[in-house]
Amino acid sequence: MSTHGHFAEKFKDILLGRAFHMSLIIFVLLAFLYFSGGTSIILSILIQVAVFSIITMSLNLEAGYTGIPQFGRVAAVIAGAFAVGAIPGRIMAFFMSLPYGAEYASDTVNVKLVPQINAVLAGSWLLSLGFLLMCIVIAGAAGALVGWLISRPAIRLKEAYLGISMLAIGDFLMWVGHNWNIIVGGSVPVYVPDPFRIFGAARFNVIVPAFFLIAIIIFIYLNRLVKSPLGRNFRMLRDNELSASAAGLDIVKVRTQSLVIGACIAAIGGGLYVIYTGSVAAIGMTRLTFTFWPWAYMMLGAIGSNVGVFLGVFLLTILRTMIIIYRSQWFGFLQAAGIDPLWLEYTLLGAVIIIVILFLPYGLVPEKVRPMLPANRVKKVISQKQMQT
Amino acid sequence: MKNMLVAENVTKTFDGLVAVNRVNIVVKENTFTMLIGPNGCGKTTLINCCTGILKPTSGRVLFEDIDITGWKPHEIYRVGFVRSFQIPLPFIGLTVIDNVLGAMRNPGEAPFKAPLLKKWAHVEEENMSRAMDILARVGLEKHWDLPSSALGAAQLKMLEVAKGLSSGAKLIALDEPIGGVDPASAHEILSHVSRLKEEGLTFLVVEHRIDIAAPFADYIYAMELGTLISEGPPDKVLNDPKVIEVYLGKEVEAC
Repeated sequence: MSTHGHFAEKFKDILLGRAFHMSLIIFVLLAFLYFSGGTSIILSILIQVAVFSIITMSLNLEAGYTGIPQFGRVAAVIAGAFAVGAIPGRIMAFFMSLPYGAEYASDTVNVKLVPQINAVLAGSWLLSLGFLLMCIVIAGAAGALVGWLISRPAIRLKEAYLGISMLAIGDFLMWVGHNWNIIVGGSVPVYVPDPFRIFGAARFNVIVPAFFLIAIIIFIYLNRLVKSPLGRNFRMLRDNELSASAAGLDIVKVRTQSLVIGACIAAIGGGLYVIYTGSVAAIGMTRLTFTFWPWAYMMLGAIGSNVGVFLGVFLLTILRTMIIIYRSQWFGFLQAAGIDPLWLEYTLLGAVIIIVILFLPYGLVPEKVRPMLPANRVKKVISQKQMQT
Repeated sequence: MKNMLVAENVTKTFDGLVAVNRVNIVVKENTFTMLIGPNGCGKTTLINCCTGILKPTSGRVLFEDIDITGWKPHEIYRVGFVRSFQIPLPFIGLTVIDNVLGAMRNPGEAPFKAPLLKKWAHVEEENMSRAMDILARVGLEKHWDLPSSALGAAQLKMLEVAKGLSSGAKLIALDEPIGGVDPASAHEILSHVSRLKEEGLTFLVVEHRIDIAAPFADYIYAMELGTLISEGPPDKVLNDPKVIEVYLGKEVEAC
């Protein structure tokens, strides 16, 4: 086949592929939202896509590649959110000789403190960048710690029991944050110092590329990780635990590795989310938003494929946003029948999961079963072997 | 000949049910040792006790004179003793060659080295070359890049053997390698195994199909209701009245 024919063939494959169709749908919906709602909706969708891509990719590492029933994704997200809400601001307060102890999180003090910190951050782009990096590092470290703690019961539990414990740990952390004032203010949200304050009104325009850059770095890191001997170990654990241990894997160690890396990344997602919203409300860190939606994104996109995850997050975030914006406008008639359109978001979640399980059990962009080494290096080894024989 | 595996008085009870009762077996180096017996007689339980899947209630298991009683499967794997399962348990989300590579060690398994191709690619290339040799030894070299879910029953059994070989094992325990496989493929599987024995490996094989497997065996242990009832070279064990009784039932008295 000529090179030209080869490219034409490849181009045809892409045009007929589900990923392309999905991208088209996403584009059309975005265009619709742009013309009906303007730039601010698009920016908010893009920021959410970046944050939730990070969270869902981390879920995909644990659930999709390692087979861990991670129903407590929210726990690691909370770790990141609380850490960013509680620690970097206090560090700034300490250096600015402001109160940094328990009183930092008290509602009357916090509301005066954070604007002072923001004023300092807005004065120096170097300080702002440093502050953002510090937030990411602190979030990641807190997530890794929580991931390691969660991995401890994982020594004895598996499948549904492990899933239920992780679900419980997630809710537990949320209620601790809600009731223990000194972490992130309890029932009154604490404000998070804003490293993007320096950009003023253009804040969101900068957050979008900044968050996308972080998401892309994580995407590249994770793709390299799953295409490595470690990634193979994760898949071995997923496919058969007994057989994996007979092949010499310490399954507790491998599961811990996956949980710690996954939690670290999810916590970075949680940290970025509260930097974007500017405050941490413990009660807002729900399992619906940070566990069940990521599961739906992952299941629609594809378990075991990060490109699929990205498309799944994009499409469903748009649909979610459309429902939240237009539910009373378009579905107001439901009110007359006694159905609150508020429930439509849950209905969408349920419908997506059912449709995926029934019609797309492997998701829109299924994982390709390939060797871990890049194809050209595999080819070299195999052709050398064939020469010998 | 050296003793490869010694099980001394191994007993395993499950809440009062004695699945394996004070069993003594010895697997000598470079032999094809068979373990036979009817369903439920404790063959698989004995293998599980030896390979760390189960912990024996009492007794000792020695591998090359090291006491491995109660070790975990991945620890026993490290000293050179691996097993296959009655039902093949391939990693279905991996290619055939990755199933084999999974049992080989690589620096890229460490979290900080894994994302850096340079740190592990050369070892992976060497392992891959070894894996291709192993696949050739079990007759799977043509299917190296297929997903393992695409293999047939007999090929999956050989993939299990290949996984065992890839770890550099000295002793491989095969649990019913020809169970549920047609006679022609069964013969092929056993020929591969016996060729591997000639290369220096030792096999402990649990099997029902005495007719096909016995000609390949050097030594046979027969079990019934958790205890050993006979042992010796194939001719002796297969003609032992106790073994015949277990397999064919009591002789009907002529009327």
